[in-house]
Amino acid sequence: MADSTAQTPPSGGFDHGSLAAGSGRLKQRRAAEFRLKMYGIIAIGVAAAALVALLGSVVTQASKAVTEHYVVSEITIDPEVIGVTAETPPDEIARAQFGDLTEAMMEAQFPRATGRTAGRELGEIISGGASFELGDRIAAEPGLIGETMTFEFLASDTTDLYLKGEFGALRDAEASGLLTVFEGDDGDLRVSSSSNDFGAALRQVKQHLYEDADSLRTKAARQENAVRVYTERAEKADSEEDRQRQLEKAESARAKQQDLIDEAAALERRAAGASGAEKVDDENISIMIKAGGGWMRLTEVNRATAKAELLTRVSLPIENSDDWTLYTSELPEADRKVTDRQIAWIETLRDQGRIKETLNTRFFTAADSRAPELAGIRGALVGSLLTMLVTFSLAFPIGVLGAIYLEEFAPKNRFTNFIEVNINNLAAVPSIVFGLLGLAVFLNVFGVPRSAPLAGGIVLALMTLPTIIIAARAAIRAVPPSIRDAALGVGASNVQASFHHVLPLAMPGILTGTIIGMAQALGETAPLIMIGMVAFIVEVPGSITDSATVLPVQVFRWSDFPERAFEARTAAAICVLLVFLVLMNLIAIILRRRFERRW
Amino acid sequence: MYDTPNSERDVDQKEIKFSARKVQVYYGDTHAIKDVDVDLEDKTVTAFIGPSGCGKSTFLRCLNRMNDTIDVCRVEGDIRLDGEDIYDKRVDPVQLRAKVGMVFQKPNPFPKSIYDNVAYGPKIHGLARTKGELDEIVEKSLRRAALWDEAKDRLETPGTGLSGGQQQRLCIARAVATEPEVLLMDEPCSALDPIATSQVEELIDDLRSNFSVVIVTHSMQQAARVSQKTAFFHLGSMVEFGETGHIFTNPNDERTESYITGRIG
Repeated sequence: MADSTAQTPPSGGFDHGSLAAGSGRLKQRRAAEFRLKMYGIIAIGVAAAALVALLGSVVTQASKAVTEHYVVSEITIDPEVIGVTAETPPDEIARAQFGDLTEAMMEAQFPRATGRTAGRELGEIISGGASFELGDRIAAEPGLIGETMTFEFLASDTTDLYLKGEFGALRDAEASGLLTVFEGDDGDLRVSSSSNDFGAALRQVKQHLYEDADSLRTKAARQENAVRVYTERAEKADSEEDRQRQLEKAESARAKQQDLIDEAAALERRAAGASGAEKVDDENISIMIKAGGGWMRLTEVNRATAKAELLTRVSLPIENSDDWTLYTSELPEADRKVTDRQIAWIETLRDQGRIKETLNTRFFTAADSRAPELAGIRGALVGSLLTMLVTFSLAFPIGVLGAIYLEEFAPKNRFTNFIEVNINNLAAVPSIVFGLLGLAVFLNVFGVPRSAPLAGGIVLALMTLPTIIIAARAAIRAVPPSIRDAALGVGASNVQASFHHVLPLAMPGILTGTIIGMAQALGETAPLIMIGMVAFIVEVPGSITDSATVLPVQVFRWSDFPERAFEARTAAAICVLLVFLVLMNLIAIILRRRFERRW
Repeated sequence: MYDTPNSERDVDQKEIKFSARKVQVYYGDTHAIKDVDVDLEDKTVTAFIGPSGCGKSTFLRCLNRMNDTIDVCRVEGDIRLDGEDIYDKRVDPVQLRAKVGMVFQKPNPFPKSIYDNVAYGPKIHGLARTKGELDEIVEKSLRRAALWDEAKDRLETPGTGLSGGQQQRLCIARAVATEPEVLLMDEPCSALDPIATSQVEELIDDLRSNFSVVIVTHSMQQAARVSQKTAFFHLGSMVEFGETGHIFTNPNDERTESYITGRIG
């Protein structure tokens, strides 16, 4: 085109060039279009990847909460232990000492579990809630007192997580020799194998020592930094006193560094030692032997011999037995919640076929609990439902009436303009501010019960109101004026025209907006925390004035708990929340599709 | 129908339905209608003609106070229906609109069944006490709108499913269902094809026996065909008002003549 002045165009005064692609400008334009398309595809790709990653991680996490484990065991309901008889009223039976009974049952099965640590560890195999469930069962059927029955005891969170492989699996070290075990003079067990079966374990132990040494050296290197900083400060110090102090600090940091290096060196020397037995402590890997009907743990290991201690009862001595298995667990005992002894017990139970895995329906039927294996979302679900009910019954009528008034009746003046602008502003107010308002006004001035769905519902209604009003106004405005004219033309009043004709036509749009607002409210956490719906509530709320919590707050609370098992439950609760949100949005879409009118 | 209107003979015996004096309409600062004086007779079809934007629709909408719905619109002057000032403070526009029905430019049936479309007006005005009475009103109105034969088997189907011409006749049925005394029609045929137009025109001629009809139209042939009286509007003023035959054959004002002969408009 640049040379169009030189060339006389064929006609019209402007040369469009050839129709075939390839001219400079056309190429540029196409390249620009292509680039834009690519940017769009990349943007969508990033968004999709983020969504997949998010959902993937949540669902993977949540999958661990899908099942729960039970320990199936026979138990004799001894009236002596629980201190009640079949004639005792049921509610007293339920409160009887079934905990002692359960404890006694477990100790009878693993008789070595005496001593405080072992006793406590044994108690942790079964959930604390199991004895309450047993109590409920007996209360419902007092005839069982004095009888022996089979009962499924809920496994504790630690047991459950171990069974789901959360603490790493026990690995069979594939021993091939014949095992001999006898009790030594010092009380330790002497273990020996006819081949070098412990060699691999020994290498692993040494490897672990090297790793520990490495991490110590890394720590030591960090001390270097501290030394440098203190030295610099000492150089810049204003007073002799300060300088002295900084130098002391530098000195102590250097000493610490030296200690760490020494320690690392010691570990390395131990690991490098070509021969000799190596101690296995709880910071190193666990090496366990199943033999003679029980479990042992190695405390000192050499290639073919080892020292061990008993984990469960083993019939001793064992001589040249080929019926044994050597297990290793990579995760040091100190780094996991389940102890070696507990692993031995759980594995024993599993070998006896007394571990039962079932679908975790408890998650939907139980309310909150401190014990993760007992915790469920029923309370939060009901709380959410009640809160949403309050929110809907307040926000919907107020929002719709407000929208109708503003759209159909309000005079257009500065005051209504001001109100309009502020409604739009209200939609952008951070939700926590509504929480503050709820706290200051509804709880403190009007005395609405705190932590109750009523208070939460009111606060969320305020938050949802602008969304509903804006959506409703847009929907009302979308109704063609000809319909309104038609109604007015046959002598309908403004109110009749609005409620008989405009509102029904706008309803799908209004409901869509309302559902989206409600979905927002359903996922809201911050304002509810302000009004105390973050409390720990074990009861399922029965009315809108009972203390309650809601799903997102439950998620927030669980995510804060230290127990590992809550991770899975948090993710599962998020999944439930997501399902509800997706459902609500689906309804909104269906409504929109179904009732969309074309004029 | 297409002959020269021959209804001039009996116009003088009819009583005046609407009488407007010195009507002014303002849209904000715009003076849309200036000093309109007109008398509309009962059982007569009066046509308002004029170029686009001349104010004929605005004036029509003054007659049943549909302009009330427009915030910036202001009406001054005196419009009387049967001697009653319709802009009097005590007059309820809703009651007025029951007496003065309206048919709009675009067919605008409610998105409801044909039956409900027609029955809506009688229902809200309490014209029928029983379902039977309501059925009768619906039938009568649909017959008056010449839609009964086409619609009687599908009364429960949505009114929006009818063809354009049928929809417009449905709107007319809806308007006559409240037994109005005056029927205002704002370009009722502009969205219709010629066949539907002729059906509606025939209908208008029939309606004349019961109602006073005021029709705004862009088509001079239509005005000539259906009306007995014609008013010519230009730039917000009513230039000429008289017998349709007179206006079309021998207009007094040269602007009327220019418009009729196609020189302005």
